[in-house]
Amino acid sequence: MYANVALGILSSLPMAIEGTNRLIVDIAMFFGLLVIVAMALNFQYGNAGIPNMGCAVQVIIGAFSVSAIVLRVMFTVIAAAGVPLDDWNDPFKWIYSNPSNVNLANKFLTVNAPLAIGFLLLSFGVALVLGAGIGYLLALPAIRLRATYLMIVLITMADASQIIGRNVTFISGGTLGVWIPNVFAWYPGDNGVIMAVVTLLLGLISFFIFRTMLNSPYGRLMRAMRENEVTLSSIGKNVVGIRRNILMFASGVTAIAGVMNVYYLQFSNESGYQRAYWTYWPWLMLILGGPGNNAGTFLGAALIIALRRLIIVFKFEIQQYFFFPISYLEDIILGGLLVVVMIFRPSGLIPEKLLYIPGVNYTKIIHEDVKIDWRAAPKAREKKGAKTEEKK
Amino acid sequence: MDLTILIMAVTYASELTLLSIGFTLTYLTAKIPNFAHGTYAGFGIYVSYTFAKFFHINPYFGLPISFIIGGILSIIIYKLVISTLTKMGSGTIVLTIATLAIQIFLGALLNIYAYMFIAFFKQYATGFLLKDWDFKVGDISGIFFVSIAISITTVIILHHLLTKTKMGIAMRATAEDPELASVLGININNVQLFSWFLTGGLACLAGALLPFWLMCSPATGSGIITSIMAGSLLGGFESVYGAIIGGFTIGMAEVLLTLGGQIVLGNWFGEYRPLIPMVFLIIILLIEPRGLQGFYERYQRRRTKSTPKEPEKEAKK
Repeated sequence: MYANVALGILSSLPMAIEGTNRLIVDIAMFFGLLVIVAMALNFQYGNAGIPNMGCAVQVIIGAFSVSAIVLRVMFTVIAAAGVPLDDWNDPFKWIYSNPSNVNLANKFLTVNAPLAIGFLLLSFGVALVLGAGIGYLLALPAIRLRATYLMIVLITMADASQIIGRNVTFISGGTLGVWIPNVFAWYPGDNGVIMAVVTLLLGLISFFIFRTMLNSPYGRLMRAMRENEVTLSSIGKNVVGIRRNILMFASGVTAIAGVMNVYYLQFSNESGYQRAYWTYWPWLMLILGGPGNNAGTFLGAALIIALRRLIIVFKFEIQQYFFFPISYLEDIILGGLLVVVMIFRPSGLIPEKLLYIPGVNYTKIIHEDVKIDWRAAPKAREKKGAKTEEKK
Repeated sequence: MDLTILIMAVTYASELTLLSIGFTLTYLTAKIPNFAHGTYAGFGIYVSYTFAKFFHINPYFGLPISFIIGGILSIIIYKLVISTLTKMGSGTIVLTIATLAIQIFLGALLNIYAYMFIAFFKQYATGFLLKDWDFKVGDISGIFFVSIAISITTVIILHHLLTKTKMGIAMRATAEDPELASVLGININNVQLFSWFLTGGLACLAGALLPFWLMCSPATGSGIITSIMAGSLLGGFESVYGAIIGGFTIGMAEVLLTLGGQIVLGNWFGEYRPLIPMVFLIIILLIEPRGLQGFYERYQRRRTKSTPKEPEKEAKK
C-alpha cells in the first residue's frame, strides 16, 4: 500500500493525488512552510536569544509582497505580451477585474514556463528584500532595550499588519482578498506536488544556510550573545548590530514561507495570517523539538503539522462527539501541550548539541581531561620562571 | 463635542485603568508581561452574561463574584504554570511564551463556554450586549457612574494598601528585590499569591463592566491587550501610579482620537482604531522607554541635582 502511495506521489499524476495521497501532499506542503518559519525562529531565538514574537508579520510581508508588487508586475508584463487584461489601476477595479485577469494570466502562464519561473524568482527576491527591510523597521524601536519590550513591539506589529492589510485595498484586496495566478501552471502533473517539492527544497536550502552560518565563527558569536551579552560587548562586539543583522536575515527567510503559502493557496488575504497561527505554532514547534537544534525543529514541526492536519481532515468524524467547533479543541490541545512540554521537558525532545568547530574536538575538551589545561597555565609559567632563576 | 462620546471615553478609560493596574502589578511581581491578562477580562464578560441571561439577575450583582472568579483563575495559573516554571529556573522569555499559550488555552475555554449555551440552552452567546440591564440617571447610562466609582475606589484602596498596610509594603519590597525581602522575613509566596489574586480580580472586574456598553464576544478580552500594554508602558511598566495615569490616557486617547480622526479625515479612520495604542506604544519606546516614570525621574533629577539610579538600557532579558 505504501509503495502504491509513494508511486502515486512521485508520478504526481492528477488522478493519483486523491484521498490519502492529497493529505500527504498537504502535510508535506505545510511542513515545508512551517519548518522554514520554525528554523528561522530557531536561528533567532534558539541560537541568538532574540525573542521574535513577530513571525506572523514576517510571513505576512512575504504574502503582501506577492499580492501588492509581484501581481502588478505580472499583469503589466502579461498585458504587454498581448493578453487583453481588464483595467486594474483603480482600487475598485483591482478587486473587481481580478478573477478574470487571473484566469487569463493562468492561461498565459501555462504556455510560457520561463516567464512563470521568472515571476517566482522575482517574488522570492522581493520578499527577501522587503522582509529584511521590515526586520530593520521592527528592530528600530526596541532592539536596544530589554527583551520584554522587543516582544511587546513585535506582537503588536503582527496585529497592526493585519489591520493595515484589511483596510488598505491595494495591498491584498482588503477583506475580499485577491486571487494570485498559478506560477506552476506549466507543470503537466499535479500542481500541489511540485509546490510541496519546491517548498521542501527551499526548506532544505535554508537548513544548509543556517547550519553553515551556525558552524562558522558567526555561530559561535551568536551563542556567546545568547549566553551573555555584557561579556560579548566588553570584548568589543557590537551586540545591537549583530542582533539587528540576525533579525533582518531571518525576516527575509521567513518572508519566503509567506510567498510559497500564497502561491499554494493561489489567494492572498490578511485573515489567513493570524498571530495564533503563524507566531504561536512555530514557537510551539521550537519548544517541543528543543531550541538551539535544527533536528529538534524538524521533529517538532513534523509532529505539530501532522496533528493539526489530521484534526482538520478528520474534522467531521471527531465533530460528532463535541458540541463546540473542533478548532477550539485544537487550541486547547496545542496550548496545553506547550506548557506541559515546558514543565516536563524544558530542553525539548532533542536537547541542544555543541557546535561543530573544524579541527577542534569540542566534546573531548569538555568531557575529558585534556593536556591543554588553561587553568594550570599560570602555575606552568611560575615553574618556568623558577627554572630560569635557578639557571642564573 | 457630543457628550455621549465623552461619557463613553471616560467609561472605557476607567475600565482600561483597572486592566493596566493589573498588568503592571503582574510585571512588578513576576517580571513578565502577561499576554493572558486581556483574556481574564473575557471571563468577567461571561460572568456578566451568565448572570443576566442564565440566572436572570442584574449583572451588577455579579461584580463581586467576577472579582473572586478572576482572582481564583489567576491563582490557578500562577500555581500551575508560572510558579512551577519559575522554580525550574526558566527565564523571562520562556515565561512570556507560556503566558501566550495560556492566552490561547483560556480563549478556547471561553469559546467552548459560549458554545455550551448555544448547544444546550439555545441561547446565542458569541456576541451580545447587556445594555437593557443597565439603569439610567437622567439621560446618562449607569455604567458611566459605576465604572468611574469602581476605578476611583480601586485606586484609593490600592494606594492605602501599598502605603499603609503590611501586605502592601511587603509587595513593594518583593517587587524591588525578592531575595532581600525574604531575608527580612516576608513570605514571598503569599505576597505573590496575593498580587496575582489582585491582578486577576481587577481584570475580571473590568471585563464584567464591558458588556454594558460594548458588543462583546469571546475574543473581546484578548483584543484589548494592546491597549492594556500601551497604558502600562506609558506609565513606565514598573509604577502602579504611572499605570493609573497611563491607562486612563490611552483609553481617552483611543476613543477621542478615533472620533477626531473620523471628523477630520473621514469615516474610514474608524477602522484604524486598534492602531492608535500601537502608535502610542512605539512613540513611547522611541522617546522614553520608561514612560512617565522616566520623565518624572528626569524632572526630579534636574530639580534635586542628585543622581538616582541610571535607566538600565541594555539589561539582560
